[in-house]
Amino acid sequence: MEDSPLSVRKLGKTFPRRLGLSSFRAVDSVDIQMSSGEILGFLGPNGAGKTTTIKCVLGLLRPSSGSISLWGEPPGSRGARRRIGFVPENPDYEDIFTPLELLSMFASMRGLDQDDRKERVLLSRVGLSGWERTRLRSFSKGMRQRVSLALALQSGPDLLVLDEPTGGLDPAARKEFRDIILEENRRGASVFLSSHLLSEVETVCHRAVILAKGRKVSEGTMEELLRTEDTYSVRYAAAEEGPEDVTEVRVPGDLLQSTIDEIRGRGLPIVSVAPVYRSLEEVFLTATGEEGPE
Amino acid sequence: MRPVLTFAQMTVRSLLRRRTVWGISIVILLALTGIGQVPGYGVTTQGRFILDFGLFGLEIGALLLAIGLASNIYPRDRETRTITPLLAVPLSRGQYLMGRFTGAAMIQAVSMIVGCLGLMVVLIVKQHAVPADLFPATGLLVVEGWFLLAVVFFFSFWTSPPLNAPLTALLFIVSQLSVSGFVGLFPRAPGLMRTLRLLLPHMDVFHIKDPIAHGMEIPGVYFLLAIVYGLSYMAFMLALALAVFRRRDMK
Repeated sequence: MEDSPLSVRKLGKTFPRRLGLSSFRAVDSVDIQMSSGEILGFLGPNGAGKTTTIKCVLGLLRPSSGSISLWGEPPGSRGARRRIGFVPENPDYEDIFTPLELLSMFASMRGLDQDDRKERVLLSRVGLSGWERTRLRSFSKGMRQRVSLALALQSGPDLLVLDEPTGGLDPAARKEFRDIILEENRRGASVFLSSHLLSEVETVCHRAVILAKGRKVSEGTMEELLRTEDTYSVRYAAAEEGPEDVTEVRVPGDLLQSTIDEIRGRGLPIVSVAPVYRSLEEVFLTATGEEGPE
Repeated sequence: MRPVLTFAQMTVRSLLRRRTVWGISIVILLALTGIGQVPGYGVTTQGRFILDFGLFGLEIGALLLAIGLASNIYPRDRETRTITPLLAVPLSRGQYLMGRFTGAAMIQAVSMIVGCLGLMVVLIVKQHAVPADLFPATGLLVVEGWFLLAVVFFFSFWTSPPLNAPLTALLFIVSQLSVSGFVGLFPRAPGLMRTLRLLLPHMDVFHIKDPIAHGMEIPGVYFLLAIVYGLSYMAFMLALALAVFRRRDMK
């Protein structure tokens, strides 16, 4: 278990309401197990409990029940913090500082050597070249998001925790972000990616966990999630001579063999047999029972 | 220690760039200048007047600085969500508190020393002697200011800034009362009031403007004991603040 960057067992978080007279269960009995080097997508509609879970993982909220361990250490421990890079949702650092100042101060607080050249390279990597000495107060939301990513990458983290990291970005910047996430994963970092952008999760994640109303409603590799339950597509040529006129039928797994036999019995050539895949959006909507992701 | 010092440096820069401290310092210096303009009945009484009111101004300045510097630090960090990435990665809650406190305490100390120098200039310009105990007396006010800062931090973890200021000011006033004065606030329960007074800080030990203004000599050991008392109380308040802060959820 100690090799697992993140292990969440039966996590529950309840917030008191109305002076403690009632309470609200934001997260209920959630289990998450991450493998080293994995990119895990964390999906759910607004209010599903994603950010609450992330805050518990980072030691910002105390779980009401269950346990969390990061490489065998409790959340918020010095050892765990050293190995994490975090990009919060809507980051808002003190806007009187410049990105270079923030990087330099974070480096010092993390016990890293301050290296102006390295920090400039990092800022250039996240697309902030030329903005090193401009105060954050004149930055757009997307630019602040880039500063946040630079701060998260600064220590070469073993685990990147990203909470809606591309929320304020345009499509080109989103692609840059995705590329950086993939680069970091190739370097060996595990990535915990919470996102509303299903296409983003589908593109970069190895596995996904779907949350709804504080509970885990689905989990699996992208292959497992996108594959429909035991449904296959059988494509065959309508004429014996060739595949010019191809017909497709979708059959459940238990009827697959008999369907193939029947088509062959009619002397028609089978072009392909493949499991049927859904889009992640379909998976998400089915799992959460929502009308659509917000 | 390095993270705390770096964070303290970040706090100093942040406070200086936000200009809060400049406003309060200018008010203190203007007040000191004003004191110098008040006509005295004689050379000796004018010197006493300047010293008495000057040190009183510094006492109030210590309170205003503590409230002005620290009451909004933590609420602003929460409001702007600056606190999330800080506590999530590089800093523990103890380091956050100590960094913010050290930064504010540095500014508080420098402002008080500048105030003391201002008072000294007023005395010299008005051709009065500068008493040797002026600097140690300012030192006591610096320690009092640090204690007040710790109180403000403590309140800021569980109250709003508008409530923090009156609570701190109330503690500042109450902790100057004598035992009999304090019991007089609620004479029906003298035992309880006496115990409460014992537990509350005795900030009157930091205020030695009267003996200084009247040229009385204060033994060095008094300063030493008062400083130890102030620093101990400050450490206690910080420990209390940290205990509250550690239990806070960062929603």
